Amino acid sequence: MTLTAELVDLLGTARVLDHPLRRHVYGKDGGVTRGDVELVCLPDTTSEVVEIVRIARRHGLPVIPRGAGTGLAGGAVPLGPAVMIVLTRMDRIEDVDVESKTAWVGPGVINLELSQHTHRHGLHYAPDPSSQSTCTVGGNVATNAGGLHCLAEGTTVAHVLAVEMVTADGEVVTLGGEAPDPIGLDLRAVAVGSEGTLGVVTRVLVRLTENAPASQTLLLAFDDIENAAATVSAIISEGIVPGALEMMDRVTVEAVENYVHAGFPTEAAAVLLAEIVGTSAGVAAEANRVASIARANGAIDVEIASSPAQAALWWKGRKSAFGAVAQAAPDYYLHDTVVPRTKLVEVLRAVYAIGRKYDLLMMNVFHAGDGNLHPLMAYDSAQPGVLDRVHAAAEEIVRASIAAGGALSGEHGIGIEKRDLMGLTFGPVDLDAQARLREAFDPEQVFNPGKVLPEGSRCFDYGRPPVGAEA
Amino acid sequence: MNLVGQLAPYETEVAGAPNAEFTVAPPSVEDAARILDLACERGLRVLTWGGGTHQGYGYGVDPDVVLSTHRLDRLIDWSPDDLVAVVEAGVKVSTLEERLAEKGQSAILSEIPGGATVGGSIAAGISGWRRLRYGPIRDRILEATVATGDGRVIRAGGRVVKNATGYDIPRLMTGSLGSLGVIGSVALKLWPVALHAATVTVEDPTLALATAYRPIAVLETNSASAVYLSGTDEALDEQIASLDGTRADGHLWPDPLDHNTVLVMRVPSRHTAAAVTQVEDSWDFCAAHGVGEIRIGSNTASSDDANRLRQWAEAHNGALVVERLADDLRSGFDPWGTPPATAGLQRRVKDAFDPVGVCNPGKLPGGV
Repeated sequence: MTLTAELVDLLGTARVLDHPLRRHVYGKDGGVTRGDVELVCLPDTTSEVVEIVRIARRHGLPVIPRGAGTGLAGGAVPLGPAVMIVLTRMDRIEDVDVESKTAWVGPGVINLELSQHTHRHGLHYAPDPSSQSTCTVGGNVATNAGGLHCLAEGTTVAHVLAVEMVTADGEVVTLGGEAPDPIGLDLRAVAVGSEGTLGVVTRVLVRLTENAPASQTLLLAFDDIENAAATVSAIISEGIVPGALEMMDRVTVEAVENYVHAGFPTEAAAVLLAEIVGTSAGVAAEANRVASIARANGAIDVEIASSPAQAALWWKGRKSAFGAVAQAAPDYYLHDTVVPRTKLVEVLRAVYAIGRKYDLLMMNVFHAGDGNLHPLMAYDSAQPGVLDRVHAAAEEIVRASIAAGGALSGEHGIGIEKRDLMGLTFGPVDLDAQARLREAFDPEQVFNPGKVLPEGSRCFDYGRPPVGAEA
Repeated sequence: MNLVGQLAPYETEVAGAPNAEFTVAPPSVEDAARILDLACERGLRVLTWGGGTHQGYGYGVDPDVVLSTHRLDRLIDWSPDDLVAVVEAGVKVSTLEERLAEKGQSAILSEIPGGATVGGSIAAGISGWRRLRYGPIRDRILEATVATGDGRVIRAGGRVVKNATGYDIPRLMTGSLGSLGVIGSVALKLWPVALHAATVTVEDPTLALATAYRPIAVLETNSASAVYLSGTDEALDEQIASLDGTRADGHLWPDPLDHNTVLVMRVPSRHTAAAVTQVEDSWDFCAAHGVGEIRIGSNTASSDDANRLRQWAEAHNGALVVERLADDLRSGFDPWGTPPATAGLQRRVKDAFDPVGVCNPGKLPGGV
């Protein structure tokens, strides 16, 4: 039987997409790279995933898992002929365990819908990437997604207790578990953030977080980005860890203000939004302390949201930043690097200089508390040669971040976008260890081949290398 | 040069460590890698030794080489404004926390660590009592530099608080009990210590857990139950008013269990109260509500008792592990119990780092 016939036999015609136009849709994610998809499968169950993996292997084709396709690093873009498994139909929220604050969910569950579903129990799912109304939990597991609340809550890996995964052998394994610290090696930690290269995640045990009884949002405006950064450091060194601490630069504030009219001061060089969560008296006390820290660090405007509606509008402004860019240009490239918090100003200055050098409009809206930068370059892809400039600028931003002691990615992952930059931060022996780890799960690179690790990462032959061996 | 000559520069003595042909202490992670490389060449079993406080986990290793980390004792870097410290594995937890406290910060390691080291705490996966609020220790390991079993030095992760760059080897090292290599140094995510702390004695820990908003810990022992809180004065007053308990200032942690046998039951947190009912009256225990960890100490427990507890834990999707075991329990009671279904995959992952099998061979469940 042909590949298509076998898969249609398993899933029926409606859940196997081979029309060129429909396949075209799946050839791209939220990033800028496009690939060709051989065939798209839409399984409903774990056992269907097992069968698809077996069929693909029999036909010698690799398997690419995909969620909603909101990833920005090309992690779900095929680099050659492959069978794509789209997991969005596996979107069941199984029993929510209110007492243990956990839930087993399908990988296709939409991030925000999980929090909406558990709201009645006073619980939510803490990782909240800006794409949370469309991205899936399975995709979040693949990229170890972050969001606005990582400063206090950590990224996806801190909120996933176990995954059920289909391996290259077509086995179904559970990594991690309901009880704390399951015995043996923590393979769950390796699966989270593995960008679909180790297997297909078919169920996820998530940890849920209590909703805060009270919260308060502050808007802090500065006429100098340095004062804003100093305020971020001062808040944290005073022992306050806000739920979220987000910064927007002038260009972003202007674009957002035009778009949603949130009441942001457009004359400011930088605006900080700080969210304090906790019990009501505690929140009020901490909000006052944050306000006085900001004033002591030269804030030109300090406002505490007068109502939940005002706070919601401010946060809507922050979350609309990427949509607001459309006013400036039809396309954008959203970057993701992390630097030590104390290097924010230095790296931001470098980012602006890179924007000027390549004649690109550079906007910065980012997770200041984490040192997680998201420079956004707005451009018009109809302009000849512009993508080359965007890519060159993106690489320079990575180099500037690494030079400041930072990392390639805080929450988007490596995918194809940053694969060949891995050597900037890891040596050949480091990459070889990563490649060996991948090999332990998937020796024949059935899953998402060519992603994350640059070609040649597996630099030594099997067994122990000779002492002093060079790559 | 012969092996004795090659290892001579590293020779040392370590109180409490098992006898071995060689007892060595490398002064750097590169030296640790060199020792492991020699071990690979000669097929020697290497037992890594930190403070010796958590060597009781898992199957015993009869070592040819005891590798002590006590010379890896430097605080390499500490950037208080970034809330990140880079520290060598042999640094004592107490030394590190005292130092960090000078600027009001903490790595949230064990509250009463004894002689435990940072590297040993990570290798054993010791999260401390404050896990309910701050999460497990693995969530604080940002970067790890490791001498792998095959004698190489690898670095993974980064010195930033958030990172999605490659596979998460630092978390994999956490709880690996020295089976993949020797941790040389780590970058730790720190937390600011809140200005005020209180311990509130309560009647019903389950009710208190449901009432308090994200407390630091809710612990139950034979004698009392208490809620541990931190924050501003205003927040503490508000929380304590809702709890209906007796307040004491500061965090008053329970005494460590010093019995011949210390077992740790790990169950889904909803089963914590039920797990406590499985503990015999004559034993001591401390249960972390909301976490699902119940530490049990006994000088009289038999292997039948221990097996009964394990059966209960495994029937509730949990496990019973050994922290310390009296001699008369060593037969008839397995240190791990039912091995995980993924033992084959675990073996392949170990082989990826330690292909010859020199690092704590056979210590993990399933003899991995």
